[in-house]
Amino acid sequence: MKLFTRRPGRRPTPKVAKRLGIVGGVMISALVLMAVFAPLLAPYDPTERVGAPFQPPSAEHWLGTNDVGQDLLSELIYGARVSLTVGIVAAIVALILGTTVGVLAGYYPKRLGKVLMQSVDVILILPFLPLLIVLAAYLGRSLLNTIVVIGVLIWAGPSRVIRSQVLSLRSREYVLASRTMGAPDRWAIVRHVLPRTALLATGTFVRAVSTAILLEAALSFLGLGDPLQKSWGSILFWAQSRGAFLTPAWKWWVLPPGLMIMIASLGFALVAFAMEERINPRL
Amino acid sequence: MKKRIAIPILLLCLALVAAACSSDTDDATTTTGGDGGSSDTTTTTEGMTEASVLRAAITGDEDTINPYTYISGFPGWNLLMMQYDSLMQLDANGEPQPWLAETVTTNEDLTVWTLKIVDGVTWHDGEPLTAEDVEFSLEYFMEKATGRFSRDLSSVEDVTSDDTTNEVVITLGATNPSFDLVALADVPIIPEQVWAEIDTPGEATYDISTNVGSGPYMLVEYEAEQFYRFEANPDYFRGAPQVDELVVVVFADDSGALAAIRSGEVDVNFERVSPEQIDLLAGQGGLEIAQGPEFTTQMINFDASKAPFDDLAVRKAMSLAIDAQDIVDTVFLGAATVGSPGWVHPDKAVYNPAVQPEFDPAAANAMLDDAGYADSDGDGVREYDGEPMAFELITNSSDSLRLRIAELTAEMLAEIGMDITVASVETATWEEAVWPGFDINNGRNYDIATWGWSAPIQANTIRVAELVNSDPSIGFLNLTGFSNPDVDTLSAALLTEADEAAFETGIMELQQLIADNVPFVMLAYPDGAYVYNADVYSDYEFIAGQGIVSKLSFLPDSARP
Repeated sequence: MKLFTRRPGRRPTPKVAKRLGIVGGVMISALVLMAVFAPLLAPYDPTERVGAPFQPPSAEHWLGTNDVGQDLLSELIYGARVSLTVGIVAAIVALILGTTVGVLAGYYPKRLGKVLMQSVDVILILPFLPLLIVLAAYLGRSLLNTIVVIGVLIWAGPSRVIRSQVLSLRSREYVLASRTMGAPDRWAIVRHVLPRTALLATGTFVRAVSTAILLEAALSFLGLGDPLQKSWGSILFWAQSRGAFLTPAWKWWVLPPGLMIMIASLGFALVAFAMEERINPRL
Repeated sequence: MKKRIAIPILLLCLALVAAACSSDTDDATTTTGGDGGSSDTTTTTEGMTEASVLRAAITGDEDTINPYTYISGFPGWNLLMMQYDSLMQLDANGEPQPWLAETVTTNEDLTVWTLKIVDGVTWHDGEPLTAEDVEFSLEYFMEKATGRFSRDLSSVEDVTSDDTTNEVVITLGATNPSFDLVALADVPIIPEQVWAEIDTPGEATYDISTNVGSGPYMLVEYEAEQFYRFEANPDYFRGAPQVDELVVVVFADDSGALAAIRSGEVDVNFERVSPEQIDLLAGQGGLEIAQGPEFTTQMINFDASKAPFDDLAVRKAMSLAIDAQDIVDTVFLGAATVGSPGWVHPDKAVYNPAVQPEFDPAAANAMLDDAGYADSDGDGVREYDGEPMAFELITNSSDSLRLRIAELTAEMLAEIGMDITVASVETATWEEAVWPGFDINNGRNYDIATWGWSAPIQANTIRVAELVNSDPSIGFLNLTGFSNPDVDTLSAALLTEADEAAFETGIMELQQLIADNVPFVMLAYPDGAYVYNADVYSDYEFIAGQGIVSKLSFLPDSARP
């Protein structure tokens, strides 16, 4: 008996999803390579003043220079490091928090689960961006704080997805069997539940990276990151505070970091989409 | 999940769209700008010297602009003084000159000031302005606190007036050589017939009918958050203004005001233009820049009361290692005057030209070597008392120019073996660290910090005593905990020096002493730059330290002091 049937045309076929996933993978790999080999790729040290301020693009400086004469192309290349690091580390923080809460809430759905899920609901209800801004402003400007702020704010969504998976897992025969045989909960969680949520968690993790990269850019753009860290968001912050948005400089100062942010977050989003297609058939 | 990704995306998209929209109009500027901007234009004598209507931009509402309602010190006070007169008026050099008082005489020790009021001046309502009005105004401000004007007059003990000779005599409690600058050229004179009926000005509600002054402009229309309309006073005692109607439009922010002047919606921007805009605006469709010295300061503070900054060698080495000229060129794009290590702005009459900024990192390194600050572990950072010379340089995040100053300073100090980390914090956090509770008796919680003082402290040169004297009752702005007996003695003596020649010699000497002992590192005095449309009106007067927003900008040349 079939519980459900696929209706063709209502969703992309797995093949399309796979292709999109490959495109996303290529985008991510390119950025990761750029971040890793930044010192080789970048023509200058991004913290060094190598030209006159506010230079338009030229042969020496392909994307011109910023307001103190640092090379914008080098900033852009090194920016991949900060943006990707923040994105990935913040997503790991979110993943650890989200998985822990999700598994506990799913495995003990009665009391602990209720309390946990209600707190998740509270976090989901809070106006997100204002909270992010307030937290970032309160904690002060540093890379670590940016990571922590983003990490602790984006775990709530993933934790719900994981909880629902665990809820269905805990009543499977092998889990019930191990419990009847007297195995401790810890063992059942580690042996049976976690391995079967790992794949789902990976999917939500990749999506969280995409979110975290965008949030880092948003925070840095608003001046709530560390403005002296070379990230794509901070390039935009300086472009904004030194008036590049009002001048022709937007073409080489605003557009490139904007595109990089788009590529990074799109790349992770595409991969996440392809993964979810395989992992989470109900989507 | 979806929703949350959407918000930051939306933010970025908005930013990009904003950039794209605004760019269409100005593609030509990259090549054409540049020539008019950097030249030291005060005001051109050619060009339009008359206009029927002039539209000016400000950012932020100023309420009804009477002495008890105007909001900002700049340009609120400046717009207030379009409608009112002070007893003295600053000339183009920023020196007070007789104005409503045609003569100002003082006794030997500068405690009794006798002012002869100009005869035949009338208020906007036609009533005559008399010496009694002047006495009334001063007493009114002393009794009914306004903040600024009450503070200006805090040294006044007694005011008397004589309506037959039209003279006012002001008696001060102590010698105050700068009373003309801080009080006579600052306090507006208000009409007794209007204000006598207002007992508690702080609580009263006003409309523009209260705005009866004697100045060249009368406020005739006001829409909150939208605009002010001033009409010229044809009977003004110094001569009728050259602009018949002044409309001041309120914008929400700088970019709005700049867009308006580019598109010709307004003819002058009363707010300062940031350095990177100067070259872009100049020469574009009749736009010109009035640029000149202003008296705000940018400096680096350190806590000189503790090691290693209590050692003169360290402070001196820091000042030698910081290239103020580079900061002026890079951060301010040349639109600033390099800071004098003796504090006083080079455009002030009492500036000591012998005190010059020095930049010599090699000498700085030698100085630190001699003083025993060696880099014993070879990590590129010197040590003091066994600790590495690694410090936090705090700066307020809201000021992006200062953030760049901090970045450059850290880079320069690395050259002399100091490891500086820039910490960008909220303005309140930064103030609390440098000046806890705005009272120096609370001490200091910082190592190195960016800092800057507003114009009034530089405008009145002897206020430098407040910055460098170690006695908290005199040096109540001594944020660096600096202490030097010679500086203490001289600065205290100069505060009450009534003899002009002796004061001048003393202040020259004090500048040298300050430069030698480095209570702080002076970086720059940023210029004021204002953009105006020369096709509409161009006869602005740039008052040194004050800018173009004053009644002088609109009076005929013959009426200017």
